[in-house]
Amino acid sequence: MTSHTIPHADDFRAGRELSLDHRKLGMWLFLASEVMFFGGLVGTFLHYKATLPTPEAALLDTVLVGLNTFVLITSSLMVVLGLDAIQRGRRRGLITFLGLTALLGAIFLGGQVFEFISLAGHGVTLQSSVFGSSFYTLTGFHGLHVLIGVIWALVTLMKAARGTYTAQEHAGVEAFGLYWHFVDVVWIVLFTIIYLI
Amino acid sequence: MTDIPRTTHDGRRARGYVMVFLALAAITAIELVLTQIGLAASAAGALFLILSLGKATLVVMFFMHLRQDSRIYTAIFLLPVILVLAFSTLMLMSAGGH
Repeated sequence: MTSHTIPHADDFRAGRELSLDHRKLGMWLFLASEVMFFGGLVGTFLHYKATLPTPEAALLDTVLVGLNTFVLITSSLMVVLGLDAIQRGRRRGLITFLGLTALLGAIFLGGQVFEFISLAGHGVTLQSSVFGSSFYTLTGFHGLHVLIGVIWALVTLMKAARGTYTAQEHAGVEAFGLYWHFVDVVWIVLFTIIYLI
Repeated sequence: MTDIPRTTHDGRRARGYVMVFLALAAITAIELVLTQIGLAASAAGALFLILSLGKATLVVMFFMHLRQDSRIYTAIFLLPVILVLAFSTLMLMSAGGH
């Protein structure tokens, strides 16, 4: 196909010269927008935490959430080991590690639900106080991202089982991995500002 | 998405990932120990922020491969991070005025 048959052919050539994969570029742009989204929520939480008394913070179980943090970090390891496996052409390894990723993500969500129920039992709800409102909004949106990640992991696993990914073509696995690691990074920040400081 | 170098020997890259994971797990364990021994609030805040920044950097650089990927991805990701850090700092400064 000659260049005069393709609209904006020069633009396509310029993109290739940058050696950027458009799918990966799109994912990084999406993650940049997510940074701004969570940044707004984090800034709001910090402002309220610094200006208003938060006696409810004493009810937070730092050890339980610390273990949950460990679970999420472990899930990130599973994702990179899965990517490494398919890059070496080991489809079975990818399937195993994606399965473990989904399992660990589900365990994290289970821990979060347990925490929410426990706090609600102590009267901390979305409507009870500014702390409750900002806490549930921040951790809830992160939990929603984990849930989407678990579903995405299972979809990627099914595609891997069907033989979609190979050592040469595994863009879908890498895109999922970027998303999952970003969710991990967000939790590392949230764990510090909500539970440690 | 083929920009990750494949020149490393089989297993070496996986061992690198495990080392990063062990560092992340160790830092998390240190954080939990520090919360249990009740560090002074002023010192603890700064220390926890530094440890958190270290963990996030490890994940982004090694697990998300920004260390070896195009600098354009780094710029795309860092710009909003800098803006959010500035925003959060201003929020805390404004809170300090109350």
